[in-house]
Amino acid sequence: MTESLTGSQILCRALIEEGVDTLFGYPGGAIMPFYHALPEFPGLRHVLVRHEQAAAHAADGYARASGKAGVCVATSGPGATNLVTGLATAHMDNTPVVAITGQVARAMMGRDAFQETDIIGITQPITKHSRLIEDVDEIEDAVREAFHVAQEGRPGPVLLDIPKDVQNQRVSGSAGERVSDSTLGRSSRAAAVPPSRCPAGSFEEAARLIATAERPLIMAGHGVLLSGAYAELRVLAERTGIPVITTLLGISGFPEAHPLHLGMPGMHGEVHVNRAIQQSDLIIGLGLRFDDRVTGNLAGFARGSKLIHVERDPSEIGKNVPVAVALVGDVREVLCAMLPLVETRHCNEWRREIAGFVRPRDESFRADLSPQAILDAIGESTEGLCTIVSDVGQHQMWVAKLFRYQQPNSHITSGGLGTMGFAVPAAMGVALARPGEPVWAISGDGGFQMNMQEIATMVQEEIPVKMAVFNNGYLGMVRQWQQFFHGRRYSATPIWSPNYVKLAEAYGIAGYRVESLDQLESAVAAAVAEPGPALVEFMIEQEANVFPMIPPGGSLSEPIEGEAATPMVPA
Amino acid sequence: MSEAQTVSVLLEDRLITLTRAVGLIRRRHLPVNSLAIGPTATPGISRLTIMMQSDNATAERAAQHLQQMIGVRAAITFPSLNGVARELALVKVRASADRYVELLDVVQLYNAVVIDDAIDGLIVELTGSEAFVLSCIRALERFDVVEVARSGTVALATANNLQTETVT
Repeated sequence: MTESLTGSQILCRALIEEGVDTLFGYPGGAIMPFYHALPEFPGLRHVLVRHEQAAAHAADGYARASGKAGVCVATSGPGATNLVTGLATAHMDNTPVVAITGQVARAMMGRDAFQETDIIGITQPITKHSRLIEDVDEIEDAVREAFHVAQEGRPGPVLLDIPKDVQNQRVSGSAGERVSDSTLGRSSRAAAVPPSRCPAGSFEEAARLIATAERPLIMAGHGVLLSGAYAELRVLAERTGIPVITTLLGISGFPEAHPLHLGMPGMHGEVHVNRAIQQSDLIIGLGLRFDDRVTGNLAGFARGSKLIHVERDPSEIGKNVPVAVALVGDVREVLCAMLPLVETRHCNEWRREIAGFVRPRDESFRADLSPQAILDAIGESTEGLCTIVSDVGQHQMWVAKLFRYQQPNSHITSGGLGTMGFAVPAAMGVALARPGEPVWAISGDGGFQMNMQEIATMVQEEIPVKMAVFNNGYLGMVRQWQQFFHGRRYSATPIWSPNYVKLAEAYGIAGYRVESLDQLESAVAAAVAEPGPALVEFMIEQEANVFPMIPPGGSLSEPIEGEAATPMVPA
Repeated sequence: MSEAQTVSVLLEDRLITLTRAVGLIRRRHLPVNSLAIGPTATPGISRLTIMMQSDNATAERAAQHLQQMIGVRAAITFPSLNGVARELALVKVRASADRYVELLDVVQLYNAVVIDDAIDGLIVELTGSEAFVLSCIRALERFDVVEVARSGTVALATANNLQTETVT
């Protein structure tokens, strides 16, 4: 090959080599050379978002749905800083995202140039790795390294910052002679992460604990989905009869209709789930990090229980909860190694005991249009086979607890960071990763208004996401906290919404408002029948609460189960 | 139980790697007493020595977090009892003419070295454990201490914890 390529062309080629087919991005000054090269590579579909934050969320959604890294692109300065929330979201939930940002030319760097910002510095704590590419000869290796780092081990976002002149730079003749420091990086990575660190006898010890426990539980987290350990988890549960709890990000890792499925634990977990945890004598934790929303007050968490912790990140072992047996490694690999040692048993007595913990739920929903009815209608219209992308707040808990997930990895949400505005853009990524499959983005009226500009992207790019807005006129979860812990002082939580049906119309898509049960089925069916995106607004009970609720700082044994228990905090 | 812990980190000799490592220490709220960085026998690799006051588990987790960072080649932790640790301090101290001899006596008592001698003050070099250095500075504070520059503690684990600096 005699003609020398520009950095941008090399970048595009390297992306294709990594299997990239879709990019979410927004052009601007410092990334223009890349966008100049892009049309030469028809294998790269570029989705023009309306705000860079949406590009990061869409790449995140694409990654969660496809299992491979999602890619977002932005210019320097404000373009790059707009990615920040999306990268932090991906970082907290361990999603492989590769972000490419333009940077001002090398000669301008460090001089407060127009649209210059230290995005490497800004994103340092919220990326797994980042790299400023200082020469065209680094690009190929840097891209390969970025995808490797983003996807291997515990996944996470990686940012590549590429100065404009490097994007324009042509490969020098002596390219091959340069010592590539990414080769250095890769080898150090390989040396730094030991494959699986399970000391001799630990599998046997785990199997012994599983065989002898009287009240064992499985807690399945995001690691089950990330490693695809669906079948192995099912074998473990069915062979032992141990009930399965799925954390917020572990939902859809185990079929909800399965008799061994218990539900979600933690702050808004069901009473019987949290009580089972408190009464258990063994917890088999699969790919979870015992987040404070799961454990409640650590001092009061599962005090009589031993923990077998299966987790690929050794620094998570013992971080929050002391462990009896640590099995460090990919959840699926560890289960495969452990299963031959696990004996057949049953937990009938213990399961009967847990069944006795089940309490009727006080949801205080208006009878005719409850979240349960809405989610049932969505489930029925898609025969339960759609992917649900939820936002953050009350509806997120309803979507987590009330929808019957049948398909693996069919529930996608921002768990760790709790990013409002996530659902709509992330659902675009999910829809592009799963063409032909129904995708619903479910938001509250607050979160929806944070990124509703992306309807335009869906229209322009023909992305058929169905959007549901749970409209209660409040920032509902904050309002609920104000009701319980701030003496009902509803400060800054009432929120006005535009006319969503007219908004849909303005964007040229179908929009429906559902005010009562009799309108529900037809509106959902009409939205599903639309070939393109559609929006359905559900007017739900204004002051409905999510129950049960563990008060902040409380232990799992102290749930608030209904309105009657409302403690009033003196104002 | 809280005790003096050493976290010893071998990392690529680049400012961004150092920034990341130090950023992690801040982000994880690690109880750090001192940081010292310098080159190793391997070109391109530096050693960052972190002294912290914590239990074993916290120090171990710090090492694991650091270990996962791109650009970090190795991170180990050992209680101070299982290693040797030294710190260097330069102290600029002044004494009036009538107490000059007394100052020199203190310097000699601590095996310190005078490396610069001006009319109304000295720069004294001290090397030893952190406790030794602190004790010596306290002794010098009987005079007029103008400036102190301390290196932070550097440490190496004794035989059983040997780590290689070789890049594999």
